[in-house]
Amino acid sequence: MDKELRRIAVVLAGGCLMAMSVAADSVSERAKKLTHAAIVVDTHDDTTQRLLDPKFDLGQRHADGSIDIPRMKEGGLDGIFFSIWMSGKITGPEAVKRATAQIDAVHEQVKKHPNELVLATTAEEVRAAKKHGKTAALIGVEGGHMINSDLGVLRIYASRGVRYMTLTHSVNVEWADSSTDKATHNGLTDFGKDVVREMNKLGVIVDISHVSDKTFYDALALSKAPMFASHSSCRAICDAPRNMTDQMIKDLAAKGGVIQINYHVGFLSQEFRDAEKKDPSINAGISEEVKKRCPDENDEACQLIEGDKITREYVAAGKLPKVDYTKIIEHIDHAVKLVGAEHVGLGSDFDGANMPYGMEDATMIPKITEALLQKGYSESDIREILGENTLRVMTEVERVSRELNAKK
Amino acid sequence: MRAARLFAGPVMAVILLCIPTSASFGDDTAERAHKLHFSSIVLDTHDDTTQRFFSKNFDLGKRNPDGHVDIPRMREGGLNAIFFSIWIDGRTMGPPAIQKALDQIDAVHENVRKNSKEMMFARTAADVRKAHAEGKIAALIGVEGGHMIGNDIRMVRIFSDLGVRYMTLSHFYNDEWADSSTDKPAHNGLTDYGREIVREMNRQGMMVDISHVSDKTFYDALEVSKAPLIASHSSCRAICNHPRDMSDDMIKALAAKGGVIQINYEKSFIDEAYRQASEKVSGGVVAMFDQLKKQCGDDEECFGKKMNEMEKQATAEGKLPHVTWEKIVEHIDHVVKLAGADHVGLGSDFDGATMPEGMDDCSKLPKITEALMRKGYSDDDIRKILGGNLLRVMEQAERVSHEMQAQN
Repeated sequence: MDKELRRIAVVLAGGCLMAMSVAADSVSERAKKLTHAAIVVDTHDDTTQRLLDPKFDLGQRHADGSIDIPRMKEGGLDGIFFSIWMSGKITGPEAVKRATAQIDAVHEQVKKHPNELVLATTAEEVRAAKKHGKTAALIGVEGGHMINSDLGVLRIYASRGVRYMTLTHSVNVEWADSSTDKATHNGLTDFGKDVVREMNKLGVIVDISHVSDKTFYDALALSKAPMFASHSSCRAICDAPRNMTDQMIKDLAAKGGVIQINYHVGFLSQEFRDAEKKDPSINAGISEEVKKRCPDENDEACQLIEGDKITREYVAAGKLPKVDYTKIIEHIDHAVKLVGAEHVGLGSDFDGANMPYGMEDATMIPKITEALLQKGYSESDIREILGENTLRVMTEVERVSRELNAKK
Repeated sequence: MRAARLFAGPVMAVILLCIPTSASFGDDTAERAHKLHFSSIVLDTHDDTTQRFFSKNFDLGKRNPDGHVDIPRMREGGLNAIFFSIWIDGRTMGPPAIQKALDQIDAVHENVRKNSKEMMFARTAADVRKAHAEGKIAALIGVEGGHMIGNDIRMVRIFSDLGVRYMTLSHFYNDEWADSSTDKPAHNGLTDYGREIVREMNRQGMMVDISHVSDKTFYDALEVSKAPLIASHSSCRAICNHPRDMSDDMIKALAAKGGVIQINYEKSFIDEAYRQASEKVSGGVVAMFDQLKKQCGDDEECFGKKMNEMEKQATAEGKLPHVTWEKIVEHIDHVVKLAGADHVGLGSDFDGATMPEGMDDCSKLPKITEALMRKGYSDDDIRKILGGNLLRVMEQAERVSHEMQAQN
């Protein structure tokens, strides 16, 4: 979730129009087939916030938001990381309690939909889910603040199925700097390094989305397993601190990692970002409107979904530029040219950010396949980008964990 | 736990003199008892050893000079199934209570992992039997006090998923939804939410533990629960009139619904003269606990030391009478006469209470078997008391859980 950004981004996204070009991007049979044959994994979805509403049914098709079981099936999305998230300002035991409850909410959904969903904690389980025609539900914790500086809590999360943790969210934690806060630790503290070591031991992927560049390099130097950026895009195209520089992408890849492209318009499009920056009243206005529509300030799901809607209203009104989904392809292609197809994947930020036009929800995923085919990508490269790269990182992380535990 | 450990220690050991030793009888009882004991599943439902996991001076895998439980002494005493108690002071509530409980649960799992050659984590009666068959000690978890769910029923499910197999509804203080036996009644037993919690425990297969709760809470829980209840560490009021113990009527009512009272070895719960004297010395369990809490805060080591000192001094001054281990057998025998051998077991409170002379640690457990044999108990009955009864209740709790979950 990129709420902070959302304010900004939301704004930007809306502009162009819904008018966009669904017709123009019709999907070929070949792309459809390939998408459905491949294992498609998305490493970042904020749908968990919606699961906290007892009335929300993941099994039904919804008119709003981006994710539910019918739409995942339609779009060929086989594995989804449900993000455990709360503002980085919620800390201490309260954060632990809330995170524990969110993890439980994901487990409950899996129990409620045993024919459609299965909890997966390994690459092998994701493959098995695909074989059985089920969607693999995985769990990632978006922000180190949720362990309250306690490795015991981290281990409890891992035992509850958490398979990645983003070291920070939008503000620094006690032991790591965020990319969108003032540096106070010069990257990772000694305890932060212990956290990374423990994650390696537990087989929890080190996620460096959201962290400061220095934190990234500290983690990269330390981690014995490849890392990923669960939802970050390329700074060369859109100069947001949440995105990765070319050098960072290269260094990540050199150690076997993957950048999972975030679809958030404020991270995809420089034009959108500039428009947001130029007129701060836009974001302020969107925030105001969100507050009006979501009177319960704890209802994050409402804020996220309404934020996206309102942004689109701004786009429609011409106050923000319209960003098209092909921008996602541009980021993928940029990273592929830089480091090869083995190091790029999908980290949509669905239900937590402002989606570009033409990528409103999970049903649109085959369009990515289509666009990559049209660019001349091989089917095997496309399979890697759609999910195999993520599975490779998972497998590696599992192997490192086994080795570290065997050593003792 | 802790609070109950009015006075611990070495003092008692001295008094062993008066114990009749089997050797003097020239029969084969000792040998038969030894065989029976070491071929049985010996299960203790309440051990506060968990607190020691946080001390650098303690190693579960090694023989320790102090305390009551470690693997070498468990082996020596034939103790092959143990409930590690998760406990924090009942006045810590809300999210901090949750986080501390999670930390302790993690500590149990970590200690089992560290000692995996000797120990196996068990979630079911079948797991306990399997551990026994493999020559390993079964480690189980009980949460001692409903305050640790932070007044959030979802935590019952989460604790259960993490391996918690019983929860004591309250500790020394009332929680938000249940009255304690050692606090002023605030809820007239269980509140409606408390009843829901008991049902949820049934659904999760988590045994409902009525040690520590008020009589009214006990009767309320007995009425609501679909599975038999346990008193994980309580003794008989008919012998020692402490509110922490159970009246004959309560024991009969518990047994009528298939439950088990697991006898607590704490001196002030098993010996009336001692209880009265200790109340004069310290003002009773809770007052003493409060006093030590003030002196030591959360420092468990300070707590234990001070308690020992106080008891030593009081005993030296002749203010406290001697209590020997046969008193435990007297309580067992009382229950057997009242409700039959199917409804009593062992809930020592090792590492959390003051042990009677001759039961200095868990290595002394075979004495109980021999004493029961000498009383003419059948091998069958002794096996039930040593662990069979508790496993029966566990199995029933599991069955109820399956039934309730199938109904949904």
